[in-house]
Amino acid sequence: MKKISVLLLIVSFFISSLAIASEVNIFSARHYDSDIQLYEKFTAKTGIKVNVVSGKDKVLQKRIAEEGTDCVGDLYITADAGRLGAFQAKGMLQKAGWSKAVKDSVPYNFRSDYWTGIAKRARIIYYSPERVSANELNGMTYEGLADSKWKGRLVIRKSNNIYNQSLVASLVKNNGKKATAAWAKAVVGNMARTPKGNDRAQILAVAAGEADIAVANTYYHALMLSGKKGVEQQAAAKKVIPFFPNQQDRGTHMNISGAGMLKYAPNKANAVKLVEFLLTKEAQNHIVNNTFEYPMIAGVSPNNLVPGKDMNFKQDTKTKVKSYGDKQADALEVMLAAGWK
Amino acid sequence: MRVNFWYFGSLIVSLTVAIPILTVFTSFFENTTNYFEILKNTFLAEYIFNSLVLLIGVLFLTFLMGVGCAYLVSFYNFPGVNFFKWALILSFAVPPYIYAYSLTAFFENYGTAFSILKSVFGDGDYNKSIPKFDGMLGAILSVSFSIFGYVYILTRASFYYQSQNLIELGKNLGFSKFKSLTSIILPSARPAIVAGLSLVAMETLSDFGAVSFFGINTLTTGIYNSWIAFDDLAFANQLSFYLLIFILALFILENFSRKKAKYHSPTKGGFKQKEKINLIGTKSFLAFLACTLVLFLSFIFPLSQMLYWTIIFPKNFLDLNFQQLFMNTILLVSLSSLVLIFFSFISNYGNRVSRSKFLNILTTFSVSGYAIPGVILAVAFITFIAWFDDTIINFFEFKSVKKVFIGSILGLVLVYFVRFYSLACNGIKSGYEKINRSIDESAYLIGYSKFKTFLNIHVPYLRNSILLVAILVSLEVIRELPITLILRPFNFETFATTAYIFASQDLLEAAAVPSLFLILIASFFILLTSKYILREDNE
Repeated sequence: MKKISVLLLIVSFFISSLAIASEVNIFSARHYDSDIQLYEKFTAKTGIKVNVVSGKDKVLQKRIAEEGTDCVGDLYITADAGRLGAFQAKGMLQKAGWSKAVKDSVPYNFRSDYWTGIAKRARIIYYSPERVSANELNGMTYEGLADSKWKGRLVIRKSNNIYNQSLVASLVKNNGKKATAAWAKAVVGNMARTPKGNDRAQILAVAAGEADIAVANTYYHALMLSGKKGVEQQAAAKKVIPFFPNQQDRGTHMNISGAGMLKYAPNKANAVKLVEFLLTKEAQNHIVNNTFEYPMIAGVSPNNLVPGKDMNFKQDTKTKVKSYGDKQADALEVMLAAGWK
Repeated sequence: MRVNFWYFGSLIVSLTVAIPILTVFTSFFENTTNYFEILKNTFLAEYIFNSLVLLIGVLFLTFLMGVGCAYLVSFYNFPGVNFFKWALILSFAVPPYIYAYSLTAFFENYGTAFSILKSVFGDGDYNKSIPKFDGMLGAILSVSFSIFGYVYILTRASFYYQSQNLIELGKNLGFSKFKSLTSIILPSARPAIVAGLSLVAMETLSDFGAVSFFGINTLTTGIYNSWIAFDDLAFANQLSFYLLIFILALFILENFSRKKAKYHSPTKGGFKQKEKINLIGTKSFLAFLACTLVLFLSFIFPLSQMLYWTIIFPKNFLDLNFQQLFMNTILLVSLSSLVLIFFSFISNYGNRVSRSKFLNILTTFSVSGYAIPGVILAVAFITFIAWFDDTIINFFEFKSVKKVFIGSILGLVLVYFVRFYSLACNGIKSGYEKINRSIDESAYLIGYSKFKTFLNIHVPYLRNSILLVAILVSLEVIRELPITLILRPFNFETFATTAYIFASQDLLEAAAVPSLFLILIASFFILLTSKYILREDNE
């Protein structure tokens, strides 16, 4: 046993620096089990091995930054445009040289030279049809969440949540920091409870009668409807109705899961190949049916359980997702100043 | 003082452990961009307040459960007492973050409690009547149930060595049972209780998993956020200064009571075996109920929640690559146990033969790695390696060592080493203290070298200590999350990281399977140790 352990120790010394001929290394803060299956498909097709290490977003960024030129990571995959933008701003990404295939399939506002979206999600409102009338929601916008008629009726998660930061960043981008600061104050005043729990907990709070409206991402609702969270939650999900805000103006706030090319990527060509693969119909179908996100490319339908599955709602394509990163600090500042826990 | 191979060996081991700890606190003495200057004082107050509330809540609960159960099983006979004696330490198998998953899943809207009520009483609006254990309360409960065992084990050991003479003294003075408890039993066990509580306090302050799951901002999450998320080293420094004060106070307290505890151990001559009181009727039932309740809440409840999910979502069970996870876990467990025991020996023996004061102090300092939150330690390690590589290695134009340490099993084991060194070092030390120095002298007299004395006399003497340390380290490594998550190599998962990954996708149901295995494997290790932890059975 001792001998084997020593041997293993020595082997492990070298394993990390061992370069396999054809591989691509991913740092992933978007840790879906289904992604792994997808990478296996890619390997089967191309012979390129996919190595993954997953973890919390900021810590991965720290590890990548400290490893510097020695970082063997090629792609940084995460579930928010703001994170990609902020990491790019730190100079940790490089121009990926996206192929024509990538550029053709991903709309311009969902990518940059450094990173690209691979799936979309929307942050929308869920309401209780028993306690909220159609009239009340008529022409409802994110800005409208500040309306005093929602006093004590709204649930939304904490300000440290990245999806909230990106949503508020888009408001800062569109309405300015001052107006958004006032908005944040009013929203905090409307909250039915101190923010807690994840997006699903907000939807459940509306179903359970703790609040009348909730703000949450689209895939959480589909996850509940799928039965993967049990029959009770499936029934609870049916008690709330999704609503897409800002349909009369710029459209509903969209966000992406995306991949960025790391500055010192040793396998850049393979990384581009992997991203190309992730944007094929086959891969997109796999993603939408496992994570309940919206497809990034045209010609693939979202899963049947996802709100807006016909994609007939107006998406906010005016606000570039790039701006979520630029305005992230402002967004967090206005929320914290408003006392948003 | 004798300077020789052993001295240097010991010195190097202690320094290695001390370096990352120093990095944590020195790396903050840099100027960096500030964020939201105005809000900081509010944050600081909130972090300190939350840490204090959490600490007080956990200390209160762990005292109540730990001392209460230890008192019952040590002084009374009631049905199941021999079972509870060891079963109560099974709570160690459930890490705070897994307890947090169970608590949330059970009590949330339309959670398990709702399902149970519905299946018993039919449809109804139960959500409003189900209490919600989240936020601060959730964090206090998760941490308390998971670590009250420290107080239980140490207090129980101290109770065990209390002489019957003391109890009889109380009787002769006409004390009631309660009066005996408060005036005799508890005061004489005070050093053990304080030692247990200070361990609990250190674990509580360094907890990251449960508090971040419940979204509570403590000093630890504050350091994490300001340092890692906002690159605000100045504020992180300020926060770690406060954390350091907390830890230092606890550390001194713990060391002090550990020393004092020696004076409370009875000498063989005056010791009289305790006679347990037989409880009958209602009292016996109440004692039984109290122990059952603690065992149920701390162990059976989270275990059942995980088991329930595994059964109703069997697909998650079938999908799990059990073999791979098991092998990875075993690899980490065996490597770190081996390394820790080996170096603890060097350090302890070095201390013993050199009798250096300086070395002694350094060793004491280096064991404080246990008090540094794992998440902070892991990032400090990365920062240190990067600094070391960029300045020293670069200066000599050697090949970069980053890849060797960051994202490798070696790096992982090294940081485990720093984190759990106190556990191993103290374990071996307490074994060493029982070997009289005159044995060493006799060995030298008959011509044994230092090395031969070590190998042929000390190692066999300390067999039990080695085994105990190995099992304790294994237990910690199996449950460890943040260090593993941050430093593991590509494509390398353990039960803990797999559970975390599922949980962070909001799939607690799928996280149940790896959590269940984690609990079961940890329970197995606990059962192996129970013989040593609950001393009386082997003496």
